[in-house]
Amino acid sequence: MNEEEKLTRFEGEMLPLMSDAYNLARWLMQNEQDARDMVQEAYLRAFKFFSGVRGDTGRAWLLRIVRNVCYDNLKKRKVHSSDEELENIPDDSSPENQLQVKSEVEAVRSALASLPEDFRTVLVLREMEELSYREISEITQVPIGTVMSRLARGRQQLAEALKQMREKDLV
Amino acid sequence: MTCDELHQQLDPFFDNELGLTEAQKVQQHLEQCPACEEAYAARLAVRQALQKPEVRFAPPNDLRDQIQGALFKHASPTHQRTWRVPAFQLPNWLLPSLAGAAAVVAVWLGSNFFLTENRSSNSVLATVTAQLVSDHMRSLLPDHLIDVVSTDQHTVKPWFAGKLSFSPPVYDLSDQGFKLLGGRLDFLGNQEIAAVVFQHHQHYINLFAWPKTDSTPFPDTTLQKEGFNVYGWEANGLTMWAVTDAAPDALKTFVDLQKQKQKQGGTE
Repeated sequence: MNEEEKLTRFEGEMLPLMSDAYNLARWLMQNEQDARDMVQEAYLRAFKFFSGVRGDTGRAWLLRIVRNVCYDNLKKRKVHSSDEELENIPDDSSPENQLQVKSEVEAVRSALASLPEDFRTVLVLREMEELSYREISEITQVPIGTVMSRLARGRQQLAEALKQMREKDLV
Repeated sequence: MTCDELHQQLDPFFDNELGLTEAQKVQQHLEQCPACEEAYAARLAVRQALQKPEVRFAPPNDLRDQIQGALFKHASPTHQRTWRVPAFQLPNWLLPSLAGAAAVVAVWLGSNFFLTENRSSNSVLATVTAQLVSDHMRSLLPDHLIDVVSTDQHTVKPWFAGKLSFSPPVYDLSDQGFKLLGGRLDFLGNQEIAAVVFQHHQHYINLFAWPKTDSTPFPDTTLQKEGFNVYGWEANGLTMWAVTDAAPDALKTFVDLQKQKQKQGGTE
């Protein structure tokens, strides 16, 4: 397979998965610009290691790379981030913001955004991308048992967050 | 099954990850235990909330182009070289006349194709393919498709012989789903080139051919222009370009069949 064939095959197989890749990156990075950059970097990294048809496994493979690129970036950021930046992060879920939340969709987004990364990741992969435990385990590089417990806790926390938001809306 | 045991299995049950026997046990417990049933209902509410399509984030419109551009740039240097092909396949007298048009055509053709540093030869390639696509489009006008109408390769081939200084390959591929319709003289710049016309279901394929004037190898090149699929390659001293509105895989099949026939040097 020469480089040109490789590019053609890669684009044919991987570009249709871009909306899944972007959705995951967007949920992990929490803003559009970073998500764009991560998706692009993930595609470049994926192209480097692409060696032919991946078929059904292609989506989990690409999402694993997206997740790794995002986590690498978030880790670096945590090391370097100032207190000021850290204070900015919970803005989405601050009580003032919650009161302003108007639509159901915004409420759900805001609740999911407030969850810890690990829980948010498995919820996105399971509920939005509808991947199996095994695929999620491969993508997040943790045992299936851990996937299960993260899902359980993530769901409980999200249910609780949604409940609180609804109660506040009623006030 | 106790409530503690159930909580261990509730998520895998909810996610269809349990075996049948375990799933039945969970199901039975849920039917009898309102507290656990409530935990199940909470999961369902979370799922319904998260699975609303609007909760997902859709990629920005230009992200695909951005990624394709980045991929193209980062593909290895050997890849970039394969795009620097056209100068040698054009008659030298054609180059100056194309240079001016190239910039205009480059804009018309869109962006993805012009991302390497070597803009001038890319522009020439773009000019050639643009002309071929426009030849193809013009050929679809009423009465423009074919000068010599024949499904017989033994009629079409000699017809070209009387009009061109080279002999384009003409093969009937009806049995493989590509019906020979005839031939036509067309132009690239001022040069007369051969156009052999095929039909594949509702789609027409123009197969253009002219002599190569340079010994540099011309690697297979595929691209899409204005909704048409284009495939170029080199065969027996000729530059070959197929242009069609048929799907890329159909075009690939067609090109492979042509190559196979040319390799066999079969009856022309």
